[in-house]
Amino acid sequence: MSLLNTRSKYLQIAFNRSLDEVKEMVTLLPPSPKIIIEAGTPLIVRYGNKAISDLNYWWAKIIGRPSYIVADLKTMDRGSTEVRNAALSGASAATCLGLAPIETIDEFIKNCQTQRIDSMIDMMNVPFPFEVLQKINKQPDIVVLHRGVDEHSLNREKQIPLDQITRIKGAYGNVLISVAGGETTREVVSDFFNGADIAVIWRSFYESPKNTAALASDFLKLIK
Amino acid sequence: MLEKRKKYLQIALNGTLSDARRIVASLPPSQNILIEAGTPLLKEQGAQAIQAIRSLAPDAYIVADTKCADLADRIVEMISQNQPKSTSLAGPLAQQNSFLEITKKTAGQIETIQKTGQPNPAFPTTLGGANAATVLGVAPVETINLFIEECKIRQIDSMVDMMNVGNPLSVLKKLKTPPDVVILHRGVDETEFSRDKLIPYYQIKQIKGNFNVLVSVAGGDTIRDVQSAFFNDADIVVVWKNFYQADQDTARLAADFLKEVK
Repeated sequence: MSLLNTRSKYLQIAFNRSLDEVKEMVTLLPPSPKIIIEAGTPLIVRYGNKAISDLNYWWAKIIGRPSYIVADLKTMDRGSTEVRNAALSGASAATCLGLAPIETIDEFIKNCQTQRIDSMIDMMNVPFPFEVLQKINKQPDIVVLHRGVDEHSLNREKQIPLDQITRIKGAYGNVLISVAGGETTREVVSDFFNGADIAVIWRSFYESPKNTAALASDFLKLIK
Repeated sequence: MLEKRKKYLQIALNGTLSDARRIVASLPPSQNILIEAGTPLLKEQGAQAIQAIRSLAPDAYIVADTKCADLADRIVEMISQNQPKSTSLAGPLAQQNSFLEITKKTAGQIETIQKTGQPNPAFPTTLGGANAATVLGVAPVETINLFIEECKIRQIDSMVDMMNVGNPLSVLKKLKTPPDVVILHRGVDETEFSRDKLIPYYQIKQIKGNFNVLVSVAGGDTIRDVQSAFFNDADIVVVWKNFYQADQDTARLAADFLKEVK
């Protein structure tokens, strides 16, 4: 079972700027338990686990309760070491690539359970997420689907049809679905309408960090 | 940058930072030895791992095993630049100033390359940070292309890691420009849990026959594996098991290797 409330919807904001800037941005966010903070891969590569523990500390102080931080590790190998380090630094969830060897995904999910954090399998560039889910021993807590090719460029030809959300949820009841790549309020509305539990956004925050507060409240209005 | 017709031993550092420091200190100085800041080390310590290695071995060729899967430009930027604001480097003022200087020059250099396509010799050619970074072969083609382009701009070598890629040639054929290095890879988890997966040595010649790239082989961990990889025409062999924790074999394995490549 995920640490998240399965009946709630969440907005996951990924941070990829420098840690100083990220600190400012986080303090501008409205204190909502519906916001999930993500330590983006570039941030982790630059600052290591410190990025996770800092975000954890800042956000917990703002919302006045334990925070939910996603470590976007994008694990490809060595499922155990990375998960342990992220969990020790205060992450509540970590990501593993659906493109990784099945052995790695299995090891990753097992280790997330041991560390009591949520496992997220990121299906970026995976043509048939179902095939991956069928091959692994245990289901992850959360499956991440991408609207575009990757988080960077949006190739409309490669879009993942949103009907996959209900298909995956139908087959694997307890799995939560997170959708990345929808960056406008309109896209986020359609993510939720199609059954997503989490919508991941980053671009608008990355591009105009000063507007963080206004952007976040715009998006939060979409979540009931 | 790496030279063709030379053989390199790449030593991956995946343990703690202090293990890494011990290992780097025990290595014989040689241009044939490359030092890798492994993914777990990078994700734990961030770019300061690269700077820590750099401070012990200023001339070393350092590979940042970023295993990039998206946001290629940001990732390359994070590991190829010295950043003056790093808390770990908050040392003497003089040191900070020199980092500021390097960062300014780096920015100038990038601008020059973007405008003219040529580096300005007045700026330093090594931009601080790592000399090479890795991107995943399973990543979207758009990401790999952007990664290779960004590495060119920042004058570091691009390495495409073919872990879990069935046919590396088909990935290479889709790219705008080939990378500097192709890594044939059997993952640690794969090696641990399914021992029957082998390193496909025959692909080395296939790739080198079609593309002007160096081939690196990762996933072996005995001296025998190293020998057979070189025998099969690999340019770089990545080793880690013996180096995972600083053990007394470290210096010996490196010395044995150096004897062989001479």
